[in-house]
Amino acid sequence: MVEIGDKLLGYATNPDVRNRGASGGLVTAVLAAALEKGMVEGVVVLKRIDEYEAIPVITDDVQEVLASGGSMHAVPVNLAKYAVGRKIAMPGKPCDVRGVIEQAKRNGVELEDTYIVGLNCGGAMHPVVTREMLIRMYEIDPEDVVGEEIEKGKLIFKTKDGEEKAISIDELEEAGYGRRENCRYCTIKIPTNADLACGNWGVIGELAGSATFCEVMNEKGKRLLDNAIEAGFIEVQPADEKSIAIREKVNKTMLKLGDEWKGRLLTEIPDQERLAYYIEQFADCIDCGACREVCPVCTCGEDSKCTMFHSLADNYKMSMYHMVRLLHLSDSCIGCGQCSDICPVDIPVTTIFRRFADPAQKKRDYSPGMDLQRPPFLELMLK
Amino acid sequence: MAETEWEPKIVAFCCNWCSYGGADTAGMGRFQQPSSLRIIRVMCSGRIDPMHVFNAFLEGADAVLVTGCHLGDCHYVNGNYKAQVRYQFLEEMVRELGLEPERLQLNWISASEGEKFANFIRDVTAQIKQLGPSPLKPEGVN
Repeated sequence: MVEIGDKLLGYATNPDVRNRGASGGLVTAVLAAALEKGMVEGVVVLKRIDEYEAIPVITDDVQEVLASGGSMHAVPVNLAKYAVGRKIAMPGKPCDVRGVIEQAKRNGVELEDTYIVGLNCGGAMHPVVTREMLIRMYEIDPEDVVGEEIEKGKLIFKTKDGEEKAISIDELEEAGYGRRENCRYCTIKIPTNADLACGNWGVIGELAGSATFCEVMNEKGKRLLDNAIEAGFIEVQPADEKSIAIREKVNKTMLKLGDEWKGRLLTEIPDQERLAYYIEQFADCIDCGACREVCPVCTCGEDSKCTMFHSLADNYKMSMYHMVRLLHLSDSCIGCGQCSDICPVDIPVTTIFRRFADPAQKKRDYSPGMDLQRPPFLELMLK
Repeated sequence: MAETEWEPKIVAFCCNWCSYGGADTAGMGRFQQPSSLRIIRVMCSGRIDPMHVFNAFLEGADAVLVTGCHLGDCHYVNGNYKAQVRYQFLEEMVRELGLEPERLQLNWISASEGEKFANFIRDVTAQIKQLGPSPLKPEGVN
């Protein structure tokens, strides 16, 4: 039996799952066990299409869950909208988890029967940018790639001829490739808001690469883990102090680098030039509405203020759609970066939204999607 | 035709019970005010959606004023508290957008404060005259 707050090292008992998973296959095994024992009706897994593409699907087949192990760095999807009122378990990056929790807080989804296994995340890459990077920086054909790995600050691609090529991530990002912009200055790397916070940071010595560091965050996480241990899917052992310290250290280093990036990407714009800057950025907008569609924290639904009262025919200097969204998201934006990813005319939407959200959230010491108990700001103020 | 001085357009959202009454009192008390003001009466300041403010700016207002009852005096118990919370977000957003702080103002005015209302409008008009037309004003609107 595990307790809430326990920090453990664990791995899947099935050797095949353990090898295929990025670090011991613990998460895959926990999800499979929850499905096997009927705790949930389905599990959200990424169905791999190729190295750069995968679609999230909800499956009730244990074998499919077990086969889904392994991490993909080039597939940024946000899973928040899959959690709607279903009895499911889902893995998620910190921003996925934040999206789900912020939705739950605003009565968008019901989390009673949803189990969330959080995964440490240092950042994801955009598929299109990754392909371009492979051609320009690595000089390999994107179609020849069979695997990727991150080791000691280097991004390694393996080709089908068995060759490997490594370039440091710093170098890639200097050249404008690598992680997405919002990932570089992301502030949550360990998903302490999920039921279980898992990752390979802090796994050292002989277990390195074949075990997962797992922290039990709440009652639901405890149930998940207990169930998997009872079913014999995983084995766990307490993490020693050295592991815990290393995990903390990795997190701190990442956050510090993130702060530096934030300084570089969110440069101060002088007051008089701001309006012109925003008008210029949004001038390209073709009004497709995709940024709202993918937004994991948007809760208005179909007939929302941003779309109902907006028309391109108004010919305003700035679109009402963006003004309403800038305001709505100033307290709830989690900086997941999906709006920038999806934008067909490459407006740096996330960066613009962060310019508005950062000061507002900092001022109120409110971190959206981190704490299910803390109500949204307006509600809080009126108590 | 003689060159006339540019007169700003100021939109004021007034709540039915206090600040609209205040505007009335200002008129009855014969307090001089500039003709730059356009009042939009709402039942409560809590009704004022940030979107109304955006729309005013986008349609060519040079300044938007949000007014209501003094805190604690709301006819609907806590409508002006709601307005205040909303205003804080709105204010931060409009500042970040790069509009001058004078272009969006909040004031609590009761029905008996006619003079305060008139003074407020006069001050705002003077400030906006200094700033000139709003950068969000559509072309062709003066």
